[in-house]
Amino acid sequence: MSSETGFDPELYKRFPTQEKRPEGELKQLEDVWCGPRRPWEWITAINNNFIGVYYVGAAMLFFVLAGVLALLMRTQLALPLNGFLPQETYNQIFTMHGTVMMFLFAVPAVEALGVLLLPQMLGARDLPFPRLSAYAFWAYLVGGLAFFCSLFFGLAPNGGWFMYPPLTSMTYSPGINADFWLLGIGFIEISAIAGAIEIIVGVLKTRAPGMSLDKLPIFAWAMLIFACMIIIAFPSVILSTLLLELERALDWPFFDAARGGDPVLWQHLFWFFGHPEVYIIFLPAAGAMSTIIPVVARTRLVGHRMVVMAMLATGFISFGVWAHHMFTIGMPRLSINYFSAASMAVSVPAGVQVFAWIATLAAGRMRFNTPGLFAVGGLVIFVMGGLTGVMVAMVPFDWQAHDSYFIVAHLHYVLIGGMVFPLFAAIYYWLPMSSARPLSERWGRWIFWLMFAGHNITFLPMHLTGLMGMPRRVYTYLPGRGWDLLNVISTVGAFMFGLAVLLWIVDMMRNFRLFGAREAGNIYDGPGLEWLPNGLYSLRSIPVIKSLYPVWDQPDLARDVAAGRYFLPGAPRGERETIVTSPLNAEPQYLQRMPRPSSWHVWGAIFTAGFFLILTVQAYAASVISGLLAIYCIVKWCWNMDRPMAQASVDIGGGVRVPTYRSGPSSHGWWAMVITLIVGGMVCLLAGFAYVFLWSRRPDLWIAPPDMSGLIQGVGLLAVAGLCAWGGPAALKLDRPRSGVIAAVLLFVGAAALVAASATDFTTWMGAGLDPQASGQGATVFALMSWQALFVGIGAIMGVFAVARWLFGLASAAQPATFELIGLFLAFTAGQGAFVLLLTRLFPGAEMRSWLMMTGGLLVWAAHFLGVYLISSLGDVAATADAPAWRGAALVFSGACLVAEGAVLWLLARRARVTDDEGLAPFTIGVGLTGALAGLIGVVWQTAPILMAG
Amino acid sequence: MTTETAPGLSGWPPPVLDPAGPFAGPIQVVAWVLFVMAAVVLAIVLLALGVALFGPRKWKRRVGGERLVWIGGLAFPVVVLSGLLIYGLATGARVAAEPKPGEMRVRVTGEMWWWRVAYLDADGREVVQDANEVHIPTGQTVVFELESADVIHSFWVPRLGGKVDMIPGRRNFLRLQADAPGTYGGQCAEYCGGPHALMGLVVVAHDPRAYAAWRARQAQAATAVVSAQAPLALIDQGRAVFAASGCGACHTIRGTEANGLAGPDLTHVGSRQTLGAGILPNNQGTMAGWISDSQGIKPGNRMPSYPVLTGQDLRAVAAYLESLK
Amino acid sequence: MRRSLPGLFAFALVGLAGCVDKADLPRPVAQGDPARGLDVIRQVGCAACHAIPGVAWPEGRSAGALAGFGARPLIAGRLPNQPDVLVRWLIDAPSLDAGTAMPPMPLTQAQARDVAAYLYELDDD
Repeated sequence: MSSETGFDPELYKRFPTQEKRPEGELKQLEDVWCGPRRPWEWITAINNNFIGVYYVGAAMLFFVLAGVLALLMRTQLALPLNGFLPQETYNQIFTMHGTVMMFLFAVPAVEALGVLLLPQMLGARDLPFPRLSAYAFWAYLVGGLAFFCSLFFGLAPNGGWFMYPPLTSMTYSPGINADFWLLGIGFIEISAIAGAIEIIVGVLKTRAPGMSLDKLPIFAWAMLIFACMIIIAFPSVILSTLLLELERALDWPFFDAARGGDPVLWQHLFWFFGHPEVYIIFLPAAGAMSTIIPVVARTRLVGHRMVVMAMLATGFISFGVWAHHMFTIGMPRLSINYFSAASMAVSVPAGVQVFAWIATLAAGRMRFNTPGLFAVGGLVIFVMGGLTGVMVAMVPFDWQAHDSYFIVAHLHYVLIGGMVFPLFAAIYYWLPMSSARPLSERWGRWIFWLMFAGHNITFLPMHLTGLMGMPRRVYTYLPGRGWDLLNVISTVGAFMFGLAVLLWIVDMMRNFRLFGAREAGNIYDGPGLEWLPNGLYSLRSIPVIKSLYPVWDQPDLARDVAAGRYFLPGAPRGERETIVTSPLNAEPQYLQRMPRPSSWHVWGAIFTAGFFLILTVQAYAASVISGLLAIYCIVKWCWNMDRPMAQASVDIGGGVRVPTYRSGPSSHGWWAMVITLIVGGMVCLLAGFAYVFLWSRRPDLWIAPPDMSGLIQGVGLLAVAGLCAWGGPAALKLDRPRSGVIAAVLLFVGAAALVAASATDFTTWMGAGLDPQASGQGATVFALMSWQALFVGIGAIMGVFAVARWLFGLASAAQPATFELIGLFLAFTAGQGAFVLLLTRLFPGAEMRSWLMMTGGLLVWAAHFLGVYLISSLGDVAATADAPAWRGAALVFSGACLVAEGAVLWLLARRARVTDDEGLAPFTIGVGLTGALAGLIGVVWQTAPILMAG
Repeated sequence: MTTETAPGLSGWPPPVLDPAGPFAGPIQVVAWVLFVMAAVVLAIVLLALGVALFGPRKWKRRVGGERLVWIGGLAFPVVVLSGLLIYGLATGARVAAEPKPGEMRVRVTGEMWWWRVAYLDADGREVVQDANEVHIPTGQTVVFELESADVIHSFWVPRLGGKVDMIPGRRNFLRLQADAPGTYGGQCAEYCGGPHALMGLVVVAHDPRAYAAWRARQAQAATAVVSAQAPLALIDQGRAVFAASGCGACHTIRGTEANGLAGPDLTHVGSRQTLGAGILPNNQGTMAGWISDSQGIKPGNRMPSYPVLTGQDLRAVAAYLESLK
Repeated sequence: MRRSLPGLFAFALVGLAGCVDKADLPRPVAQGDPARGLDVIRQVGCAACHAIPGVAWPEGRSAGALAGFGARPLIAGRLPNQPDVLVRWLIDAPSLDAGTAMPPMPLTQAQARDVAAYLYELDDD
């Protein structure tokens, strides 16, 4: 096995260790990871064993609540022209049913499953950002409950869960109902993304040593792909909710056709999120199926690699199918054909998984226990949903079926078969891990059959109801259309389903005993690490992983792990800590110190939710105060991070020593920051799409951009910011006497330059007479600038934070991580600003040559930074690799880039002189040139550390 | 139980599977092909599952390997789906070809929660206005120009063809044709708020001669038809009440002073089959009920209830409007 | 339209009288089929103005609710509630009371009989 990090795999042979463990080691481990002792500590807890269970519990609460709404709807629809629910109430209820099921149940439920299970499956003490998970959970719970309660005041949104404008714009939805949806979804997005970051970094960086990607449990694969999909897809819903809220609050016409907006823009943005969302929900559930089915069949998953590939393929293809929700909007034939083909293609990987499950069941011998029943039942239902999915991917058929009850049937088959049944299988399968008693098998069988029958009785007739012409989202229907009987049947089925859930709740109350002295344990004989004996600290010691099914393949594993014969058998420093490993081969890299319980994240979550909710009722002052308090709490929480331990390296067992501190690309913080920035970049990119899209609709309303001077000033300032962003951390790492202050000041100046660039952008556009309310151009340009301003604002807080750290003596070469991440953030913001500037000022209308020059220059510049950074980082990661070769590569690359940059700069200066009739103000040229030069110097500076490393 | 409130959109067989024209027919064939495909595939999956769960060991060994995944999960779907895709795209191209010049055009504009209908001449000018009912000649392809005045609606007459959305700021086209005279029900298919559930319409197909006559009559200004149920005195009283109550601010009756544009054109309202956008039968009684209590019948719709009219005035207005044949 | 004050008064009297008159009920309608009557009621949309037991929607509020119609001594508060009067009223109410809001309805004699038969089945509840 070749090494990824220079770690010697021979060291694994020292385990299990044979020495006797010191007296009191286990006691100390238990003390460090102890659970709540006082009542409020149940709330401040940040252990995944608690947060994970709360999280699953809250998601199931919302499942039940949204299910009750479904029963209300089915009661109303049982008879034609029934008077059980008034029209307005019904419209609110069906909107809430969809919204709560999708946003408050499905995504959080699978995310919760990940937070609860992943640390155990990966053999980590906890995921790398437990406090972030806790924050995500509390924001979700507080916000979700408040959002749901809007229903009791008649203030719930009533525009349907996909909230198509213009129905949801101010003209047609003047109440605050729609705002509840937009802002309510806002913090749910935040918590989903926080969870996704946690899961990605957790799966990649906190696996047990030796658990290389080919030994990664299938469920962890699914969660990894799931989280990556959230990172790509959720920005789209973030952007669409932001745009619609901006339109509602400030009258910026993104979706108003009369002023150059387009309602279809919403549909593109929403479904670019909304369709991957289905697979986002499905994949983790499929991962659970792929885990549970081998267990109930007592064999290994047939075609493990194919299933992994299939999940990856699902992830990719699902981003190319969004417009199949829009076959009836009058798209060009070419687009329709493409999306039809892609929609069919996405069912192939699903087929691979289904047949892999069937083959697994055939290879083993099925045990008909409750998880097994739910898994097989889910499989059957999901296949039926998939088949109707192929049907509606056939465009001509979709023209008939679209927006009819056929679709209602289809989507419930897919989601209930693909997610709810697997989730129940997972609950039955993994519950003994957390509960002292398992759920009753006898009840479980009843619940399964009731649910299975209830589901089919409810939704099978709906296919026909749809073909008989019943449109979805109707609060009532006229008699005499032959829909009456079918609707009665559906209602009966829905109540059977409801009864099954009720029985499950009763059984949970009978048997679910949390945090007892002892768990029911591995009653189904599962093969994963989660079934090793464990406590709140997770495993007593973290084993070396040698196979995909460690508990099955290594009979002594449980004994050795419990005896502390593997990695990290205690907590000798009195700290919560876990091993961070490399992403591919899971080689130990360093020891991460983990946070202790605290209340800042709880307050942060409450104030974040408060900010959004109070904003909804338009109490702006209170909302801003809540927002500021949230920022304060989060800054306070960040303040205590990045404190190195006293020892630079420690023995993590068997004499293997690893450092206790890392910065740069191998650290978990760096990964989290990069993922966060990808989210931001995606939002910006999609906003750029919105800009181009609206231009294509009404170019006649667009005005000419401000003259070139503003652009050159802006780029110059951003270049300064970029330089400072790179310079700050680099200065700190040089470890000279004044490094700290120079670094802090550089970061502060960088942030200030960003502020200046943003201000320039705003003022020049306003000077050019752009009115955000007047056209799609105004609206999207201001939206892009506002998004940039948001990042600039956060960057400014970070600049101040950097200076504060220096003032308190926390800026030293020994703890560069914070500065490095701030630098990364500022550099990204500068790049994003440049994208916004160039796009809005050069497209459309600029001459081809200016266009090419500016973008070409920026691309070369960006490539230069990125290239050098990458080369130096890789050189850094591969510490054992051949250093001169890396240096050579960096030098050659840098040289080439410098030549290209010089050329672009020269052309640009000439161009600036030629194009501007009034003559560019000397100041403008000065700033532009200084900025560009500063960029060059920055690049050289970046290269220097590599050169000096030799 | 039958009513006349949903003409053409009722009962068995399901309208989607009961096509009445060349733009719905091929979709019905597609639907049946898909049903058969789904049934066969489901049978295969269930069979494989059955073998996997209960089959004899020898069979199970055949099923329980990666080969099944390659064949059943990969090769089989790729073949089936490729075939379906080609078939689907070809059918789609046939059903939704671009409008041809010279085809009859009708502009239907979705409004909350009714349909504005305008018949266009060869130059695209509106020559006849109507509401909630589209009359077409049989055996002839009609191009529907679909627009929206407020939010997104969707125009769907399942027996004649698929649905197309009506989107503000856009104009979509839908070609439909009815082979036989008759009434074909339709409904708004995109949720448009409030009483979306009660936004129906009817398409009435006549043979070409009858259609020409209908259109000629429709193009004329309003003429009240006197009858036993609507004696002249009552009609005159109704016309006066209509004018005095300000109905003309929202409704147009060509040939009178009423020229409002917010609501449906009432020039020939007495000849329509339904009231309230496809939800009530049309007679003096329902007309009176609708005028007096439209909010009770269709909550949230844009027409206010007029409970202030006296009994006789109400009856007179209803008689007047129903006389506009 | 709204019921006039005398109308209301009459209505109240009728209510009282109804208790006494119940013994005479139901009034048979020759050749009237209540089940067909309900169909006819739905087809012509009587419920656009009247709330009628057995018809879920619309529950018209423009004219009097017809629950308990079978027990009322008077039609519209002024005409004797007799089968032949009712049938005529259903077909052409203005001919019996020029001031009524109830317009003539497009019913055949047979249909009107069916409707009348259905209305007489309506008890007080």
